Amino acid sequence: MDDYIAKVVFRYVTLVVIIYGFYVILHGSASPGGGFAGGSILAMGILIYFLVFGEHWRGRLREAPMDVAILFLGLGAAVEGIKFLVPQKHGLVGAPGTLFGGGWVSLANFCIGTLVACSILTIIYLLVKEE
Amino acid sequence: MTIDFSVLLLNYPYFISIIIFCLGCLCILTQHNLLKKVIGINIMQSGIFLFYIALGNIKGGIAPIYDPGLPEATLYINPLTSTLILTGIVVGFSVTAFALALIVKLHQFYGTIHASEIIRMRSLG
Amino acid sequence: MHLWENMPFFLVIGSLVGAFVMAMFARWKKEWCPYLTIISVGFSFILSCIIMSRVAGGEIIHYYAGGWRPPWGIEMMIDELGAVMLLLLSGSFLLIAIYCIYAVPKEIHPSVSGWYYTCFLLTLSAMMGMVATNDFFNLFVMVEVTGIGACALVAAKGEKLSTEAALRYLILSSIGAAFLLFAIAFAYQLTGNLNMTYVAAELANIRTQYPVIIWVMISFFTVGLGLKAALFPLHIWLPDAHSSAPSPSSAILSGLVVKVYIVSIMRVYFLVFGFDIFTGTYMRYLILAMATLAILFGSFFAFVQVNLKRRLAYSTVAQIGYIFLGFGLGTVWGITAAMLHIIIHAFMKVCLFLSAGAIHYQTGRKKVTEFVGLGYQMPVTMVSFTIASLSMIGIPLFGGFITKYGIALGSLEADNPYFIALIVLSGLLNASYYLPLIWQAYFVSGPRIKLKMDAVPLSMLVPIMIMAAGVIYMGVFPGGALNFLGKAVTRFLL
Repeated sequence: MDDYIAKVVFRYVTLVVIIYGFYVILHGSASPGGGFAGGSILAMGILIYFLVFGEHWRGRLREAPMDVAILFLGLGAAVEGIKFLVPQKHGLVGAPGTLFGGGWVSLANFCIGTLVACSILTIIYLLVKEE
Repeated sequence: MTIDFSVLLLNYPYFISIIIFCLGCLCILTQHNLLKKVIGINIMQSGIFLFYIALGNIKGGIAPIYDPGLPEATLYINPLTSTLILTGIVVGFSVTAFALALIVKLHQFYGTIHASEIIRMRSLG
Repeated sequence: MHLWENMPFFLVIGSLVGAFVMAMFARWKKEWCPYLTIISVGFSFILSCIIMSRVAGGEIIHYYAGGWRPPWGIEMMIDELGAVMLLLLSGSFLLIAIYCIYAVPKEIHPSVSGWYYTCFLLTLSAMMGMVATNDFFNLFVMVEVTGIGACALVAAKGEKLSTEAALRYLILSSIGAAFLLFAIAFAYQLTGNLNMTYVAAELANIRTQYPVIIWVMISFFTVGLGLKAALFPLHIWLPDAHSSAPSPSSAILSGLVVKVYIVSIMRVYFLVFGFDIFTGTYMRYLILAMATLAILFGSFFAFVQVNLKRRLAYSTVAQIGYIFLGFGLGTVWGITAAMLHIIIHAFMKVCLFLSAGAIHYQTGRKKVTEFVGLGYQMPVTMVSFTIASLSMIGIPLFGGFITKYGIALGSLEADNPYFIALIVLSGLLNASYYLPLIWQAYFVSGPRIKLKMDAVPLSMLVPIMIMAAGVIYMGVFPGGALNFLGKAVTRFLL
């Protein structure tokens, strides 16, 4: 996209969106939101950056999201599995309302958020590549 | 059988969600453009999601997050339906992505995304 | 980790993890994928065998994910039908995975052949989850994952027709899933539970109170799962999807994927709603009518097809009609025959589709008029094909006869002997489109060819032979399976 206003605006807005995405991910235990919602916000931020300043899109990093997604899929699944699926082992829990109030769940949230962002980017990259 | 309209008016989210569901269904069945069909799937799913959210909502309830500062008798909404819909959204997202990928592929083959055009081209040979 | 207690969980998660491991290997070591798939499916097969032996010992396995008991947690329940289905699924997938070693490089572009195994294992995992789960929402998620996996298996060929068929399948199956989700919403609204056992208990109390909602709910379940199971007027996606897919995918789709939806719909009808609601909402008569139409029209349409795989696909529509007819009758023999037909039809259809793939592999022939002399060129494949075809027609000593006999007994039990005429008529129709193939292959004198072995790799022949042997075994010794499934039927008709 070759638009001067968009470039000026999104040079700053992208950062805010990405930080907001991380905020939603990390505060999933204390406010509505969490891994999936924050991850999609994060992906949208990065996607806007790619759409406006498109030159990095075709660079070397384009297949990196897929690897990160697969890696965090494993990590998130392992942490979730320890938390929810193995009977009667509920891990450590912090004080309610704080950043890591969910204990293991906060960590799992982070993994899931990154996973969601990376998989959305991967899917969109694959769709762009197909044309 | 008589219908009590005040009940319908009171439970208007259910009513609207069913209308949205029917609109989405109509969109899939009547539109020839494949992209519009995919949009129809999404509209249909949104109708169901709205239904679920309305199901779990309690008037005056707040988000179900445990906080020791709140009084004992706080009303929480039902978190289960929201959780289910989160899963539903993920599933709907992946279906949409897959459908779009297939449409891109079809556009490569036929040069159009109109279902009727594709059928005509295929019948010609 | 206690493997013994968490066995259903490992069964589902094992092949799911296998699917994502395969996604990594698809980009790194593509040539290892088939063998790793066989290992992963073999693990599932061993676990299913252990589960089968546990269930045969009289135990019904309940598993609570995370130790959360129902109605709060997700429950997995494996009863007799579930154990049989798990064994059938993992066993057939193991054979098809062995078949895939040589068939996939021939039919699928090398750039996606690694990803094909990802979809393969994803479908297996979701199908086993669908059979094992006792929770409605879990059922919905598994249905969607199976739908996506099955569409990917169709689209993997990457040709015009298969892409189009996959898109149609995807759109229709997401309509079906949407109806299913809506039906689950009604169930939750009405009963406040998502666990099937609790929903059933609650529904029995309130069924006179909310007749209209129950009516809407059961019809939404019928449309949602019936669309995916290709019940007759909703079958329009099936012939294209099954005939344009690569042959291992056709075998999976036709033999197994539609069956798990039928198992789910049987559970919904008999275990959740109960026989009284099933009959009282007239849904049973609708199922009987649609099954009758499916048997007749499926056979008619199959008769006019020229492409071999298309003919087999339409034959699937007719055979699904048998299963629906069996459990629509609602008698002990009818339901037992329906369950048995799920198994036997899986054997027959997998055998037929794999044979069609092998014929295409060796000779490149696709049409039903090109069978001349095949009986001498590829004797092993054609003997298996003949066995499966005769079983389809319903000749005694083959598996198909047992289910037809069972459905006939069931229709007598239900005081409805007209269905016997239907079964005889459909047997004749089946004969009219299977026998010409066999006649051509053996008795039409083409160019004189000497008898020789098939020029097909052994790893493709062995699965076909095992499936054909299964058909004969079921035809000669059906007693064990009938007794075992009878236990499930008594709980279905409680």
